[in-house]
Amino acid sequence: MASRRRMLLKVIILGDSGVGKTSLMNQYVNKKFSNQYKATIGADFLTKEVQIDDRLFTLQIWDTAGQERFQSLGVAFYRGADCCVLVYDVNVMKSFDNLNNWREEFLVQASPSDPENFPFIVLGNKIDIDGGNSRVVSEKKVKAWCASKGNIPYFETSAKEGFNVEAAFQCIAKNALKNEPEEDIYLPDTIDVAGRATQQQSSGCEC
Amino acid sequence: MHETELHDLSDDSDYAAASRHTGSSNITRSDSGKSITSESGPLKVVYSKDNVSIHPTQYASERISGRLRLFKQGSSLFLSWIPYKPSTDAEDDSFWQGSSSISKEKGRNLYTIKLLPLRDVHSIRRHTPGLGWQYIIVVLSSGLAYPPFYFYNGGAREFLATLKHHVCIVSCIATTGLCKSVDDANVFLVNDFQDPLQNSIISRASNRASLHKPSNSFSSLDDSKIVNGTTYGDISSAISEYRGRPKKSHDPARDISIQVMEKFSLVTKFARETTSHLFRENHGDLLNTHRKKQQVEDGFLNPATSSSDDEKKTTNMVQVDSDPLEFEKLPLVWGTQRKAPLSLEEWTSFLDSEGRIIDSKALKERIFYGGVEHNLRKEVWKFLLGYNEYDSTYAEREYLASEKMHEYEILKSQWQSISAAQAKRFTKFRERKSLIDKDVVRTDRSVAYFEGDDNQNVTVLRDILLTYSFYNFDLGYCQGMSDLLSPILYVMKDESESFWCFTALMERLGPNFNRDQSGMHSQLFALSKLVELLDSPLHSYFEQKDCLNYFICFRWILIQFKREFEYENILRLWEVLWTHYLSEHLHLYMCVAILRRHRAKIMGEQMDFDTLLKFINELSGTIDLDWMIKEAEALCVCAGENGAACIPPGTPPSLPLETNMGLYPLEDEVL
Repeated sequence: MASRRRMLLKVIILGDSGVGKTSLMNQYVNKKFSNQYKATIGADFLTKEVQIDDRLFTLQIWDTAGQERFQSLGVAFYRGADCCVLVYDVNVMKSFDNLNNWREEFLVQASPSDPENFPFIVLGNKIDIDGGNSRVVSEKKVKAWCASKGNIPYFETSAKEGFNVEAAFQCIAKNALKNEPEEDIYLPDTIDVAGRATQQQSSGCEC
Repeated sequence: MHETELHDLSDDSDYAAASRHTGSSNITRSDSGKSITSESGPLKVVYSKDNVSIHPTQYASERISGRLRLFKQGSSLFLSWIPYKPSTDAEDDSFWQGSSSISKEKGRNLYTIKLLPLRDVHSIRRHTPGLGWQYIIVVLSSGLAYPPFYFYNGGAREFLATLKHHVCIVSCIATTGLCKSVDDANVFLVNDFQDPLQNSIISRASNRASLHKPSNSFSSLDDSKIVNGTTYGDISSAISEYRGRPKKSHDPARDISIQVMEKFSLVTKFARETTSHLFRENHGDLLNTHRKKQQVEDGFLNPATSSSDDEKKTTNMVQVDSDPLEFEKLPLVWGTQRKAPLSLEEWTSFLDSEGRIIDSKALKERIFYGGVEHNLRKEVWKFLLGYNEYDSTYAEREYLASEKMHEYEILKSQWQSISAAQAKRFTKFRERKSLIDKDVVRTDRSVAYFEGDDNQNVTVLRDILLTYSFYNFDLGYCQGMSDLLSPILYVMKDESESFWCFTALMERLGPNFNRDQSGMHSQLFALSKLVELLDSPLHSYFEQKDCLNYFICFRWILIQFKREFEYENILRLWEVLWTHYLSEHLHLYMCVAILRRHRAKIMGEQMDFDTLLKFINELSGTIDLDWMIKEAEALCVCAGENGAACIPPGTPPSLPLETNMGLYPLEDEVL
């Protein structure tokens, strides 16, 4: 395996301040959760080796500041991204409402070659809070939005409990891979995320 | 030429110079030194080595060889280096240029060291290259350095052993972390840092070297010229004499030291070039050397073009352009030893009977070099931040405090009076409050003062930030502000005072949080210019890697290194920065200092933007604060006016140029 070329897959996590971007990243990479994460200033990233269909990839996960005011930095941080993860807090309506802004802002700043088909993933985080009783964004509402934006895969997660995080990032990795130019990679014929995304339950990305 | 007699100078004439020297640290040329009068006993040779050479140019053929000796007289140690007569090593002189023998003659006189008292030496750096000869670089207390002395017959170790035997030497390889050159370098601080003369940059500046024209037979110097710091003689002439007696200087550091630095860099420039080319030169690969030199001068050495070279390393490190300041080792020269923090006793001495600060400049200087004892911070910070005027009295300050407390309560009541029903219809308020609520609970919670559930201080943090977002509604709240407020509240332990001190700080740092990021961009731009000035190879590298936006330093600048140091060190760093003593923009020089420190790794490993960002972020918690301040100070002094010119007027934390208009550019979406 070591002799194989390790490809880098760059993933950007976006979303309002405090929705849990840093926590999701750390839960996935380090399997840890802390209440003590500070507000992210600027940007940072973690990397993790992932295996997809017998090939090794390096997933480079970028965590960015959540305040809109810092979006102008995106030009530098988003470039070369292979996938964009949009995170909202299921308990905060505004954070869901802003997903559209984040998506558009990303497309402007990263200017991917094929914006129509650029892979996004939506994560609804903090489903653990108050046993789900404080949630204000319905699954139906989110899925409708995801469907309207080209069937964006959707996961509900709890970074704190580690729920669904692994599955979500597996899907993220596969979608990032999908974004790679064909000549660079061997494309397994089982990837078909977009077509089925809306039928999935929140745990689902069967790619 | 009479200078050739230097070769014949016997120990006798050295005696003469030494004996004059015992009464004064002013060495003079000893052309007239035929009469021997010893006042402090006999001068004894304790070390002598032949074939110790310097290289005025990069060409080995132009080396000037001589004899290096150490003398002892009483308890004093002296160093001398006397070049040989030209005939002994002149056979290749004209190989490269016809003028070489002339320049060599000049160099022979320039670099002669008659008798240098070791107490005038700041440090001696020994380099042990993997290939080639060992050499040492002698740096004087003034900051001036002699060219490297190459030990063609060995003996560098003995030399240092002899030195160690006779004077107090502190090896500083571990403590300063300065020895980042590729060679195995050893720095030996000769002098005792406890010496008060070496404790401030002012004394260093006044300790500057004096120069003399080498071909002149007279050696006396016009003292008034030295005191004024205006006349330096021929800059291209190097230092063979040194005036070590401290003189009063009315002006801090800058004007004097710049000139010292200029001369210093001239000397060290050839030291650098010589060193980097010497080895190849001595192997006769002259053309190749010349070609390589050209490449280096043309800009960053492209690894592709050098890959076929015999120098190609087996690792994947690429050749890194030499540090333009490498041999100057600024911290070694100027890194003013940090002082103990300002004590209560000292603080009191700055105040007159009514509580006015008599000499605010001296106070700021004092704080710059040592910070403030913690229990004084509450009082002193209010001045540094501009909340209290330096010329205010105790009574005035007391009155102001009560006024401001009242004013704060009014401001605070603006948002406190918002009812739930009103808040429901006031989206911006809700969003702001929610943002602040989210941030205060993740601000410095590991610090005891903010620790634990339902901590009242966290609530105060929230209240101040929310009040500020009403006081400065245009700017509002932005992430990073809680980081700036937290240490202030920790020090002030008072809501109103913290608010006003924070407000004063935000007068300068507010633009960091502009919606259009203009304040940040102007600082990042200035940083780019400073790196270009102070380390052009590094600048070229960043350019090549598309890193000139310096976003890698964004966090450092936005919140004044808040995330890079332990809490206690942040307090120290900030009070140093807030003195604005050498520059309002010392934080930018700090950025340069850190980047430069890792330049070899950054360029050697060919870090791209991503890797660089990661690398920079991971430096958090590893930076030595005192080192950083000293290095930044040195860079700032070194850059001088050119450095200041890199920073456009109004660049934060300078106060904004125009204050009559709205300060903060608005966009439609005000959060």
